[in-house]
Amino acid sequence: MRSRPVSARYLARQSAQAIFTIAMIVLLNFILFRMMPGSPDRVNPRNPNVTPEQREAARERWGLNDPLLPIGITLDPPGITITGENQLFAFIAATLRGDLGYSMKYRGKSVVEVIGDRFWPTILLIGLAEVIAIILGLALGAYAGWKRGGKADRIGNGLSLILYSMPYFVIGMPLIIIFAAGLGWFPTSGMLTAGATYTSPLDFLADLLSHLALPLATVSLGLIGGYSILMRSSIIETRGEDYVETARAKGLTDRRILRSHAFPNALLPAVTLIAINLGYVVGGAITAEIVFNWPGLGTLTVDALDARDYPVLQGIFLFLGISVVLANFAADIVYGYLDPRVRR
Amino acid sequence: MRAPDGRRLVRLLAATSLAGALLLPAFSLPARAADKLVLRVGATQDLDSTNPYQTLLVVGYEAFQLTYNLLVDFGPNLEAVPGFADKWERAADGKSWKFHIRSGMKWSDGTPATAQDACYSWDLAVAAIAAGENIGAGYLDPGLADAGVTKVECPDDETMIAYTEDGSDRVLQAYLPIIPKAVYGAKDYKAIGEEKFDAPLVGTGPYTLVEWKTSEFARFARNPNYWGTQGAADEVVLQFYTNGDTMMQALKAGEIDYARDPNAEQLKALEGDPNIATVAGSANGWVQLAFNGYGASNGKTIKDGGPSTKALLDPAFRDALGYAIDKKTLVDKVLGGYGDQGNTIVPPVLGKWHVEPTTPRTFDIDLAKQKLDAAGYKLDAEGKRLDKEGKPISLRVYLPNTDEVYANAAPFVKDWYALLGIKVSTQVFDTSTLGNLVLPPEAGPEYKADYDIELWGWAGNPDPNALIQIFKCDAIGGSSDSQYCSPEFDKLYDDQLKASTAEDRKAILATMQNMIYDQAVYDILFYNADLAAYRTDRFTGWQNQPLANGKPLFTYGTLQYTLLKDATAQPSPTAAPTAAPSGAPTTAPTPAPSGDGGTGSGGDLTVTYALFIGAIIVVVGVVLAFIFRRRSARAAGDEE
Repeated sequence: MRSRPVSARYLARQSAQAIFTIAMIVLLNFILFRMMPGSPDRVNPRNPNVTPEQREAARERWGLNDPLLPIGITLDPPGITITGENQLFAFIAATLRGDLGYSMKYRGKSVVEVIGDRFWPTILLIGLAEVIAIILGLALGAYAGWKRGGKADRIGNGLSLILYSMPYFVIGMPLIIIFAAGLGWFPTSGMLTAGATYTSPLDFLADLLSHLALPLATVSLGLIGGYSILMRSSIIETRGEDYVETARAKGLTDRRILRSHAFPNALLPAVTLIAINLGYVVGGAITAEIVFNWPGLGTLTVDALDARDYPVLQGIFLFLGISVVLANFAADIVYGYLDPRVRR
Repeated sequence: MRAPDGRRLVRLLAATSLAGALLLPAFSLPARAADKLVLRVGATQDLDSTNPYQTLLVVGYEAFQLTYNLLVDFGPNLEAVPGFADKWERAADGKSWKFHIRSGMKWSDGTPATAQDACYSWDLAVAAIAAGENIGAGYLDPGLADAGVTKVECPDDETMIAYTEDGSDRVLQAYLPIIPKAVYGAKDYKAIGEEKFDAPLVGTGPYTLVEWKTSEFARFARNPNYWGTQGAADEVVLQFYTNGDTMMQALKAGEIDYARDPNAEQLKALEGDPNIATVAGSANGWVQLAFNGYGASNGKTIKDGGPSTKALLDPAFRDALGYAIDKKTLVDKVLGGYGDQGNTIVPPVLGKWHVEPTTPRTFDIDLAKQKLDAAGYKLDAEGKRLDKEGKPISLRVYLPNTDEVYANAAPFVKDWYALLGIKVSTQVFDTSTLGNLVLPPEAGPEYKADYDIELWGWAGNPDPNALIQIFKCDAIGGSSDSQYCSPEFDKLYDDQLKASTAEDRKAILATMQNMIYDQAVYDILFYNADLAAYRTDRFTGWQNQPLANGKPLFTYGTLQYTLLKDATAQPSPTAAPTAAPSGAPTTAPTPAPSGDGGTGSGGDLTVTYALFIGAIIVVVGVVLAFIFRRRSARAAGDEE
């Protein structure tokens, strides 16, 4: 009775939905970046030595002169042209091959390579921060909600609201100024001491952890508020439910009721939030990564945007889009298990 | 009924210790491994490429200059000093130069460095020029074109002869790295532009690139075979920051020794720190108002494009506008007091060539009004300034989004012009849009030069040619953003190329600078300052280039790196007795890492991260499982 599997129909419907969404993301990804102003001509327009011919040659080489779409409509003379050589088809074909092209900023490096370099640092920082924030946030929220109106609630909820409303850089910069530049307990930024050589894995780990401490604290603090607030309101709702009253009537202890009856049922909305947030983990926390110069996908996004590095931006957005869809897909499945009403 | 608080306390302790366990090792030991003396240089600019022909950024130039020598290097005041070649002379025919390549010089990998390497490197550019093309991004080879180099020859391993059109000494400023023929010799100028230049690199410079992590750092190891004075640093690490404030905190914390290009507020915040010195060097560049003078020389117009009023083609109109700009205020308010007021088109940092204008304009709104009236630009009844066609003058000022100085300068210009009855609208663009927007039809039928004033800047080379060529007729459709054309100016340009002495050349350059100034083709608002801050407690011997108004690093050549000394060095009984304190060209007293960069920083760290994350997940999982098991056990108990 406990873990009846979800129906095949439910699974198929959810999968189809996810695949369709991913296809739309690929298409949108293509259109969106072509609508942006500016052009990625690699030849800098401010180079006093570059002639128009050379700029043109660069455009040709990057395929920027091919039509965007397979169908072109011209008004003068009126007509519709259809061409196989266009940027959209080339884009879809390459994406299916797993070829995301080459970075325009870091010339000679493939997008997969550039994104791959930044993947683990972001997973490490944001993933770990999520875990800490989920545990602490849910616990704090549940406790505050259970003790609604009490001292713990007033302090806990107030703290959550403050943290929830603070952007990462507001939390992060004071931490740097106090604990890094001031007290010198931690390094200010980066993930490892640049160019350091390590004598042992422990040495490496110590360096990594000392660099990780402040950004991890920042992101965790920033995330705790959201979980805590959601959990609090959810717990408050379940407090009035019949089964809680029943449990109370049975003479269970307050703590037991919270843990065994109220908390598991209040967890449902949190599952959604967790799933969505986990999907966004790969997007990194842009402001936190920038403040701490963390070499993750967040800083990569900003760098790529600055340099009009279209292929890298597309790669990041594709990657982010797919992981959000997959995380939601996972949430739907988990929901199916947790809540029998959505199983069919 | 409440449960005893004891267990709750245990739970809380468990959670705290889990969090603590994650943070604890941070306190336990400082993570600086090894005792190499590392010079750490922070920059908010990111390295884009280690290929010298591909990089577009100052940081990229620094990276390749550390690794590779130029044939002739730049001294403390930008004068020619030995580089890959140790001696040179103009041949008797006056048109060719003979370079002597240092005897016994070696690449960082120990192989001999000879004239063949120099010939190969220069031939790449000569071939590109002959084909009317460029190498890579096209920034380096024009130096040889500018010097008129037509052919190079290497009769033996110690001699390179460069044949030029006019024997000009600009050949000594050619900004071309000498790369090892043994490594790249098979590549032609096209292939070398696409070459990856993956670390570790083999060079003859003082430090060679051994590791590059994009957007994190580039690490350079001391070249044990470097022919010149060895700097004190065993390694140089360029560290890249996305946030300038973070970089400045890192400087304060002593994590980096040098911070490139902080802004004025960040620099001022360092005042009073006894271990940090700040420097405001004069930049080799400026920020200008470029007036769109399209058609002034030939009467051409552009359909749906070009300047919005013919007044912009009139030197008298532009001259009058110049009296409305208070450059001192701009330097004070926009640059925070760092930088110089702008005037002529050769920046003062090129002291050898710069001249102050003969008839300078001063800030005087009333005089500006009088001059506009006298030139025929009258006010109407509503106080609007009219052009000669009777239309109110309303100017579109376009600027790029790259640097805050442009956006900060624009409102001043708008307010001052408003005092003259001239309305100004400003609009910000990304650089590539703006670059295309100012191009005229000469660059292609789709371009319309549809702007009035471009508020942007330029940065130059050690030679003034790079900046003055923007005003040549043939720059229209290319780099020109004023659409200025004057056969007289073009002739002067050619004359200065052929000038036989520096004095002659300077005299012609002076005429050219005054010509552009007097005709107000540009209104150069200011020469920016190159700001920098560095720590003095780890390294001493910081020297600016140029000495008077330059900065220590990110200059021309890499002399400054080799002058640095260890500030903490103290005579100790264990130190090698031969460790000469005053930069004698001995080998380094500390074991220098070999060209391959030693052990690197941990090799493939992905596995370590994965293991680490895995371990964390396991720990969290075990804790959760433990909690849940206890819970269900208790729940079962409750139900009984």
